[in-house]
Amino acid sequence: MTTDAARLDLPPPGPGRNSLLTRLRRAEWFTYLMTVPAVIVVVAVFIYPMAYSLFVSFTGFHLLRPDTTSQFVLAEMFDNYARLARDDVFWRALWNTILFMLVTVNASLIIGFGMAMLLARMTFAMGPVRVLLMIPMMFAPVLIGFQFAWFFNATVGLVNNALLTLGVISQPVAWLVDEPTGMMSLMIATIWMTVPVVSIVLLAGRLSLSEELYDAASVDGASVYQRMRHITVPQMRPFFVIVMVLLSLDIARAYDIVRIMTDGGPAHRTELIWTYAGQLAIRGSQFGLASAMSMAGVVLGVAFTFILFRQMMQLRKDMG
Amino acid sequence: MTGTARTAPTPVEAVRPRHTTRRRIHWRDIGANWLAFTIIALLALPAVWIILTAFRPNLEVNASPPIWIPQALTLDAFESLFGLNPATASGVPVMRYLTNSLTVALLATALSVPIGTAAGYAFSRFDFVGSRTLVLLLLLTRAVPGVALRLPLFLLMRNIGLIDTVHGLAFVYMALNIPFTAWLMDGFFRRIPRELDDAAYVDGASHWQTFWKIDLPLALPGLGAASVFAFLAAWNEYQIASIITKTPVAKTFPVGLADFTTQFTVDWRGMAAMSVLMMIPAILFVLAMQRSLTKGLTFGAVKG
Amino acid sequence: MRDTMTTRSGRLAIPLAAAFAVTALGAGTALAQDDPAYAGLDKDLSGTTIKMAAIGGGSYEAMYDSISMFEEETGANVEIVFLGDGFEIDRYLKTNYAAGTVDFDVAWNHTSFMSQFTNFVEPLQDYFSEEELAAFSPSIIEAATIDGNLQLIPRHADISALYYRTDLYGDADLQAKFEEQYGYPLAVPETLDQMYDHAEFFVGEEVIAFGTQFAGKEEAVAGRFYELLFANGGDYFDADLNPIFDSEAGVAAATWMQDLYANGLVPGDTPNLLWDGVAANFCNGDVAVYLEWYGWYGYFQDPESCPNVAGKFGMARGPVGMDAETHTGWAGAHAFSVAKDSQNKEAAVELIKFLTSEAVSFEESNTFGFLPVRGDVSARVVAANADTGNPLDAERWELANLQVSEDFRTPPLFADWISFTNEWFPTLQSITLGDMSVEDGLAKGVADAADLLDSLGY
Repeated sequence: MTTDAARLDLPPPGPGRNSLLTRLRRAEWFTYLMTVPAVIVVVAVFIYPMAYSLFVSFTGFHLLRPDTTSQFVLAEMFDNYARLARDDVFWRALWNTILFMLVTVNASLIIGFGMAMLLARMTFAMGPVRVLLMIPMMFAPVLIGFQFAWFFNATVGLVNNALLTLGVISQPVAWLVDEPTGMMSLMIATIWMTVPVVSIVLLAGRLSLSEELYDAASVDGASVYQRMRHITVPQMRPFFVIVMVLLSLDIARAYDIVRIMTDGGPAHRTELIWTYAGQLAIRGSQFGLASAMSMAGVVLGVAFTFILFRQMMQLRKDMG
Repeated sequence: MTGTARTAPTPVEAVRPRHTTRRRIHWRDIGANWLAFTIIALLALPAVWIILTAFRPNLEVNASPPIWIPQALTLDAFESLFGLNPATASGVPVMRYLTNSLTVALLATALSVPIGTAAGYAFSRFDFVGSRTLVLLLLLTRAVPGVALRLPLFLLMRNIGLIDTVHGLAFVYMALNIPFTAWLMDGFFRRIPRELDDAAYVDGASHWQTFWKIDLPLALPGLGAASVFAFLAAWNEYQIASIITKTPVAKTFPVGLADFTTQFTVDWRGMAAMSVLMMIPAILFVLAMQRSLTKGLTFGAVKG
Repeated sequence: MRDTMTTRSGRLAIPLAAAFAVTALGAGTALAQDDPAYAGLDKDLSGTTIKMAAIGGGSYEAMYDSISMFEEETGANVEIVFLGDGFEIDRYLKTNYAAGTVDFDVAWNHTSFMSQFTNFVEPLQDYFSEEELAAFSPSIIEAATIDGNLQLIPRHADISALYYRTDLYGDADLQAKFEEQYGYPLAVPETLDQMYDHAEFFVGEEVIAFGTQFAGKEEAVAGRFYELLFANGGDYFDADLNPIFDSEAGVAAATWMQDLYANGLVPGDTPNLLWDGVAANFCNGDVAVYLEWYGWYGYFQDPESCPNVAGKFGMARGPVGMDAETHTGWAGAHAFSVAKDSQNKEAAVELIKFLTSEAVSFEESNTFGFLPVRGDVSARVVAANADTGNPLDAERWELANLQVSEDFRTPPLFADWISFTNEWFPTLQSITLGDMSVEDGLAKGVADAADLLDSLGY
């Protein structure tokens, strides 16, 4: 296989034939060959389902009524979207989702950055510590969800037990029910999942910086803050972009955590777009409406990704 | 563990500038050490608590007021999980979940890494027509929430008869992993100096030969990292597996765990025992692959 | 589908009254001397695999242990493809029926859920002889026959009853204090108002963590609210399926829940509790009095599983609300159906015959306290529990008989009952938690319900 491909591609001897033009033409052929499998698979598993979902969002598809599957009526095309716009819960879920993403991403970045700075100063046991740090990021989100659902459980949870034993509280607290502890619990679980990734990448970034930069800064009398602001952060920009890409992966997986911990409840207090769509689709059987909601989630994700994409393109240019 | 770390320095240590060792030990460093230890301990606590719970008697687990120091350790939870103890709960098909998860994850990895690598190489080397659009397209796949994908995928899988099969699930995971693999490998290939390629072309090598003989061997660590990520993504995925698989024939571990949590809502110890089984591969992976993981996570940005 | 809907709307909430009046005690005790009979074991089913999707959790699963006997006798192989609690199994069946990916022959069904599944389950009347069907409670069989098609074969029934702690209600000190504070004697509550007073009193005296409790999410809370609603003289819908629960009765029921939560008389995590959770609380000895299913009786009475309450609780008929005539009594029957897409219908029916046979039903009822749906089994359990040393063991069957004949109410029987509860329960939670006032919450609930039913084409 490889030898065949190699022989096919082998240019005839002689420098004259290997002109820029032929090389470009061959490059094009080669690149399409390299990318086509990826594109086919991605179209099958992403584009087709998304197109279908978009179509369904314009219909009144009800899961238990097979006859409603492709009932497309032009005049009623935006009914689902109109219903969403009128739905207070949808707006609440949207707001919760934005809040959730903003808080978890920023908190992970800040805490992870702080930890990386701390770890960079460590003088011993660096190896084992780094291994320990990596363990949470290997955990399945389902597992993390279960773990924290249990810790925050009102009657047998670790958190209440500890606080009661220490005398900090006298009555058990219903962490997952009360406001704002419900959203906070979900965020804590998610941050627990993401902080290790952030700190490991940023630690590598910090350690890759040359000490001379800092030595020079010390000579100039720069404060800790100034060094951070003018040396550490700008120098580590590529690492921050990597972290953002990894975080966007993790935040998408946070649905599993929320699903296990609260599933958006109680009383929609922790409702996110993802959980609300899931409920409408499976429990309520209202697949058309749920698809419309998914589209809202897609728009939100796309906005986030566009910001990331611009950063990445810039970075790729810098790297050549 | 310390021994390994000392004999085989992680890449992060490798890139640490040598003269840092000359720094004097400052009291602030000692403070930083302890603070870091405390935070790491806090991060590790949940996992430790789960593991401990799995081995405690049920009475201790549900005791009120809580019993903090374990008085006795037992394997009861695992016995009833594997159905070894007929007196307690009927066994959960954990062995099936394990085999299914392994099969799906390995298949998905074996397929997605080559395809993703090929695409990543193309992106890193050629600014061809539509390449920017393709990169954006691949990135955008991550913006798609699983909720939006799962039902259409369910219908798609049903139409091609792959519902409730490990192959069907592996196919979906392969697709899910390709964008990230391509992105990761693109970064790795970009680290390899273009001069090497040019030298190969001057010697008359084709694009394929340059890729296969020059660039790919240099990007091997990246391949390792990409494999680990692909494997773990498949190993941990829940949303799509929960709808595409329906029976122990194809159900994976996360689905089994979620089933367990809804089926036995108050059997915390049973869930802890199941969690421990699920953690084992993750922990083994970290121990075995921590070098390439760090490299994979930081790839192109580390210049040196 | 449409026709089904309109005919159903005419007979919402069919009272299954007399279901048990006829069957429960009717057969007398003469039969109890023989061994109970098995059924469905006559055919040779070697090489057949029967797949089953069933309800799991709690004591529901013990019955499936008997399947090994069925496998040995008939040579069939039974594979349980799914087990989950009521909501999980409902979701599972719904997705598979809808997508045409049915991978089971025998499926769980329930009188509260069956209207959703009419298109997808095999009519069973032709698979059973008249004699076989006559063994079951006639009113359940009648209620389960939609447009002449028998949807399901009942497994056991359940109705909510009042469980209370005898050690608290019998305490002379507490009795004296209560009468002093509330001006009437402390006795097993007969009204919802009394129940509230007792909860408040016990928590105030710090003799127990929670005065009462209720499962706080999904259909569990919507159904509990339904029970309070009709005990107060109200209903969810009128005969034409118009939502009417913003009535005076609705206000009373919602206020009851909201006040209990606001004053800390129920667990703080009430909205996250399901059946297992509330049962665990009572089992731990944290709850004084509440409405619970008969199915948990065996679990609570077992000193191994519940040392804190075994032998220390009593059972009573549900209380009345504003309507002094109507007691609570939310009820339903778990059941089995055969999937229309099953390739093994004959074999599947045999398995159902076995699982609902006199012997298996008796075993299940006698061990776990599930209410039998067969007359022959009812007679047997009363006889079997006549002298166990704990009078409640036998008394509860008589109580069950009274409740089922007087108070049995299924939820509204329309296909989207579960869709409705899914839309309604978060609003009900908002009321309970105090996020919304009772009036606003009920108004929203009614408006959403009308909107939902409208969009579903009612």
